[in-house]
Amino acid sequence: MTGDAAKAREAFQDTVREAASRSAADEPPPDRLWYFRDARRRCLGVCEEGLQAEPGMLEESEISAAAPGQIALLNPDQLAVWISAAPDPQRSALALFYLDEFSLPEMLALLDVKAGELSDLISSGRHQFQAWLDAVTPHYQE
Amino acid sequence: MSIFQLRPNYSSLARCAPITEKPGTDRAMRVAIQRARQGKKAVPFAQQQAFDAAVAKLVRAIPVDAQVAEWFANESLIPLVRRRWKKILLNPVVIAIALAVVVISGVFAYRVHERLHDFPGADKARHLLSIAASTRSVLLDPLKTDAGALSDLFFMKHRLEHYDIPPEFADFKTLGSRVFDDDEVHHVAQIWAVEKRMQFFLFPAEANPKDGSVTDFSDWRFVELEGWTGAVQQNNGVCFMAVIRGREKDLAPYLEKGKQ
Repeated sequence: MTGDAAKAREAFQDTVREAASRSAADEPPPDRLWYFRDARRRCLGVCEEGLQAEPGMLEESEISAAAPGQIALLNPDQLAVWISAAPDPQRSALALFYLDEFSLPEMLALLDVKAGELSDLISSGRHQFQAWLDAVTPHYQE
Repeated sequence: MSIFQLRPNYSSLARCAPITEKPGTDRAMRVAIQRARQGKKAVPFAQQQAFDAAVAKLVRAIPVDAQVAEWFANESLIPLVRRRWKKILLNPVVIAIALAVVVISGVFAYRVHERLHDFPGADKARHLLSIAASTRSVLLDPLKTDAGALSDLFFMKHRLEHYDIPPEFADFKTLGSRVFDDDEVHHVAQIWAVEKRMQFFLFPAEANPKDGSVTDFSDWRFVELEGWTGAVQQNNGVCFMAVIRGREKDLAPYLEKGKQ
């Protein structure tokens, strides 16, 4: 979400602190989604200080059969930086989707979007990422 | 997804298909995946799934901050997930079953309530209500007199003993009458009155199937059928029924008059 481990840690610390103070006040977080919702809000707040990406600025390419090979060549940090550079709510959608922890209704609840919107966000992110992959990694022919 | 959305956009759903199989995946998503795996879209969908799996694998490789990992290991941050009754109750299948149970229970309760207030001969009375609903005045022999005077006619002409009109209705002017044999009720006397187009029926009482005895009742008991109401009284083994198109309250003033 932030592309920066220190910023992410700070946001997460604040979330845990908030949860602890709520629990102390006998109003604990209602469910596990609360943590992700709160952490997302804080991450977005932290990122507002820097440059903001604009939607629809990136090229898109069709998903390639060689994509898994191209992705395997990447460093995890590169992916984290690429996702954190996406405009929100696409950034949050991609982060939650590729964490592979949430069901569709949970993602819709966290992002407060409709299923069609989420589908468009993920699909366009996929194609943009493929275009970026084509630019930075060699093409495989299987 | 709303339960009222009857036709989900399956191609849209397939574009955000879960990367790994999850137990809580809903039916619409399962159908979307099944469709995407067949036909022309099978190859692009397979590429999409491979793409997503590769990205998810890379995401799992992103190093987690040691301090954050330690918090998750030591603290019980996530509250226990309680059973989601609201979600279960909003399931369309559960709603459909609940509605069916409510309707069946309602019909059953209505039937039980109806039978609790039934009396011997109630089925015959309902049968005669259906006859009342379908009878036209031209079917009856024209006869303009007081209803109470017809008892003698029934006895003299048709040998129907104790086919007496109760005092509450004895003064009512008649338009016509007839006597007929019904398959279920047997000897029936039918009278058409001027007052509110009421009809009167006299018919044999229902005998107790065990001992053949007949128990009279002097209070008024009611039967209803498709907007018609009958007030029944039984004397000397013969039932008298006053029929009106309406409800019990429409008959009540005439019955009250008898009590006074």
